[in-house]
Amino acid sequence: MCFVRTTAICENKSTTVFYTNVSEGGCSWRVGMYTLALKRAVLPRSSNYLRVCAKSSKPEDTSSSSSSSSSSSSDSDNTKDAKPSNEQKLERLNTLLQDLIQSNAPGKTAKLELAKPKGREFKKELDTNDVTTKTETAEKEMVKAVKDVATDLGGDTKQTESELLMKLLNPETSPTSATNLMDIMKGMRIDRETKTAEKSRAEQVRSILQTAKSRISKEGPQPERRMKRLPQHIQQKKEIVVQKIDLFGGEALNIFTNKSELTEVTQTKTWQRLYERDLKLAVTHPPSNYFQQLMLWTEQEKLWKFPIDNEQGLDEEKKVDFSKHVFLEEHLEPWCPAKGPLRHFMELVCVGLSKNAYLTVDAKIEHILWYKDYFESKKKLLKDTGAILAEREAPKAVQ
Amino acid sequence: MLNSQLFLKRYNSLHITPKINSFIQRLFSAEAEEKIEIPKRIHRGPTDILRALEATISRDPTAAHYKYHDDPYLIPMSNMGKRTFAMAQESGRKAAHWIRKEHADLFNHREADPVIKAFLPVVSFNEQSDITEDNLKQVIDDVLVSEAQLAYKLLKDKGVDISEETRQALLELLCYTNDTDILSEEFIEERWFRQTTKSKEKQRKIWKDNSLAEEIFISIENPTAETYSAMIQGMCKYFQVDKAWHLYEESQEKGLILTSDAYSSLLRVVNFLKESFEMKWALTEELLQKMNEAKVKPNLTTLNSALHSVSTMGGGKNQKDLALKVLKEFKGLGIEPSLGSWYYILITFCKERGPISTVLHDIMPEIENKEHHCLDLSDTYFFVTAMDICRSQLNDVELGRRVHKLLHFGNNYNLIGDSYKESIYYRHYFGLMMNNMPFEEFMQNIYNMLVPNIYVPEPGVMAEVLKQVDLNGSVEYVAQLWSDMIIFDHINRENLIESILNILDSNKPEAESNLIEVFSCIAWDLFKRLEDEGDNRFNKLRLTGDQLGKVMILLLWNKDFQKACLIFDKLDQEQHTIVGVPKIEALSMFIDSCIENKMPSRAIACLQYCSDSGFPEVEELGVKIHKSLTLDENNLAKLTKIAGNLS
Repeated sequence: MCFVRTTAICENKSTTVFYTNVSEGGCSWRVGMYTLALKRAVLPRSSNYLRVCAKSSKPEDTSSSSSSSSSSSSDSDNTKDAKPSNEQKLERLNTLLQDLIQSNAPGKTAKLELAKPKGREFKKELDTNDVTTKTETAEKEMVKAVKDVATDLGGDTKQTESELLMKLLNPETSPTSATNLMDIMKGMRIDRETKTAEKSRAEQVRSILQTAKSRISKEGPQPERRMKRLPQHIQQKKEIVVQKIDLFGGEALNIFTNKSELTEVTQTKTWQRLYERDLKLAVTHPPSNYFQQLMLWTEQEKLWKFPIDNEQGLDEEKKVDFSKHVFLEEHLEPWCPAKGPLRHFMELVCVGLSKNAYLTVDAKIEHILWYKDYFESKKKLLKDTGAILAEREAPKAVQ
Repeated sequence: MLNSQLFLKRYNSLHITPKINSFIQRLFSAEAEEKIEIPKRIHRGPTDILRALEATISRDPTAAHYKYHDDPYLIPMSNMGKRTFAMAQESGRKAAHWIRKEHADLFNHREADPVIKAFLPVVSFNEQSDITEDNLKQVIDDVLVSEAQLAYKLLKDKGVDISEETRQALLELLCYTNDTDILSEEFIEERWFRQTTKSKEKQRKIWKDNSLAEEIFISIENPTAETYSAMIQGMCKYFQVDKAWHLYEESQEKGLILTSDAYSSLLRVVNFLKESFEMKWALTEELLQKMNEAKVKPNLTTLNSALHSVSTMGGGKNQKDLALKVLKEFKGLGIEPSLGSWYYILITFCKERGPISTVLHDIMPEIENKEHHCLDLSDTYFFVTAMDICRSQLNDVELGRRVHKLLHFGNNYNLIGDSYKESIYYRHYFGLMMNNMPFEEFMQNIYNMLVPNIYVPEPGVMAEVLKQVDLNGSVEYVAQLWSDMIIFDHINRENLIESILNILDSNKPEAESNLIEVFSCIAWDLFKRLEDEGDNRFNKLRLTGDQLGKVMILLLWNKDFQKACLIFDKLDQEQHTIVGVPKIEALSMFIDSCIENKMPSRAIACLQYCSDSGFPEVEELGVKIHKSLTLDENNLAKLTKIAGNLS
């Protein structure tokens, strides 16, 4: 659930990096406390550190699940097992750590408090800082809360405070064992010389962690797989009393008293039109099926309207009678010979045009007149070949 | 047996009942006595048939939206993808518009008869063009602001007189649009996806001073009431309140009767004109009084403006009473509130930091089971606000369902507003249902229904869903959620990754369950995806040591030793860049499987890692390795170095 990792980077003895990873869980603040204790351990004058050592060194302290410090019996067994095989190593480590503490600690703390640009390589240190400040505030808050409670209760506030703190830190020892804050402090001081060097800091952290773990396991085994929760309301439904509000039951303002006299004023027309356009667009959303798409296109006049009518929108054509489209020979009369191959050709042209639904009458007439001009330009050739009659007969043809 | 009896009974009753007998006789008798009445022709509009056909189609939540369905391969799933897809379509449309505008000469042929105006290039003018007042009228009709400005200038340069009417129309156009071009009707997608910035942010002066509108206003010698109205409306719309008030006073001095819209827009900005609650309300009352004196009939806009200003006034209980009074007053005038009015009532009653109000319970009966039309621009705010209140204030599922039902009644869905509001609406709906429904039911009826085609949950909502999974222990949904998260592009969210891993890690399935395999697939996929992302990606998410440990555990549950090895290699090689270390459980599990797979060197590497990380279990594990594996000289030496003398 949570662990504290302590690393001493030895090649650069001036930096000691602690970092904690508090991932989750109810004991996070407690772990925070440990971290704090660790941090303070860097400072030689820190009392928390001393307390940690003091408590863990008392084997007769049977209240093993005390939250802050004492190790559980099983754990201490564990450490005992480990000790003989690793004594040398531990000793070395401890002295090294002690050295670090005494020689470099002040510089270290100063370094920790510096504001640093965010970057990958600083991440570890930043983490520590974060946790520290967090736990510090948590601790402060706790102490403050205790103080408040003590003053609220009245009487011997100091006494109450220390008792409360004791209870919080050592929930299972009776408050009578430590009568006041001073006593607790005393206890720490006495143990200072005897045991500090015997355990490395890593050791302490481990034992603390193990205490926490064993505590958790003692309190009740954590179910591996959580029970499926019965369907129920997760958020407790706040009791909301529905108060009836009569929306139209109140008094009126009584400003508009002369309803009948009110008149619609001529509105700003363009403004109104634009406003309506906006209203329409506010509910015009991307079409969600093809019919909607067709509707939209119809409204934008890109499509024929229903019902389908072949002559929809052909307003100009409506003015022209069909006979003008069909009977086109009248346009030949002024110029075309009455008979002969030319007449025959032009009549065929007229039949073709009369069947064309895609040209307007004007376009058809234009078409015929184009032939007129064309034949006019080829007159000589036509005469030579006899396609049209000689000069003297021409006027007759025109008639 | 029973059936045949029943049939007999029915058969008998058919014969016995005289009524039916006569009916059958009538059916078969040849003589039709009834007079045939030809029904009167019902006039149908151009889209009525389409509308009727469309009414037979309801939205299929399992299908992508119509605009996306052209190519199934390209159907977008995430919010970003949807937006990008639609915007890409829109930009294609815009490109076409641009080409048509740049090369107008190529598009002037009249292919179709009748000519389709929408396909013709937009008119454009220059100094040489022969311009008349009709041109100006045309561009005003087509809402082409910059063309209208240009046409007006050209006409003025040429000394052409412009009629009062056209000038007024132009002034109104300019006031309405604040001298800027507005989005063409064609670009529906853009309008749908445009993020309507919160109304509060928009409320600053954006009116363009000394613009053409003001120029025209000054040039008019005898401004009429309409001219004043247009100016006041424009200035109020764009929050040039001081000038608007000044013009209002000027018009009052001249004794002009302004339009109701002008009064409405002044009512809307009361908040900016006066300071304290009392003064604001006094001004509101004064304006309404003035309307009454001028015998101007107020309309819905007036009602909504008054409610709007009441809602922004602040003033506690008083404010609520006033809102109701306004409502009552307008009801007396025969003006029914629209959804927008109810929206203002809602925001007046349900303040974020105020006491909880149940006014929505009273509003619902007024609007339920009705089809609403957009009568005011604020109408589109109703649904999203109502659902918000259902969720965050009342936490009332029943009411939420009623609101949801109303939204889907008739064409009410059009009033959802735009994509942004729709998304917020569903966010609230989702949250409300999630917190008040059994999780399985929620997943089946809501999640599977809405996601991903109607609503794509945002990362925050996804985190809540995961939280519910964790609370309910419904790990069977994790696979589905994880694949959704990939589709929705959520895998770069640290909190989501963390909670997925936590859920998997803390809910170990039974040994024979196939979930073990599923879990390991998810874990491996998660790891792979984050690995393959490439280093150049900005904000690349890096798994922490603890998370990698969890991935390892999940893989080892499924006996994926090879994959677990890869994870361990990463842990080992990048020891200095990975934040944190795995839990000892993960590492010892790994050592166990090393032993199982007879991989002494790996086991020792892991032991080395444990020791580097300062775990006290090193010795224990060392002993275990020593006991269960036969080690060669080399490995034995290493082991002794790490864990001390083991023998």
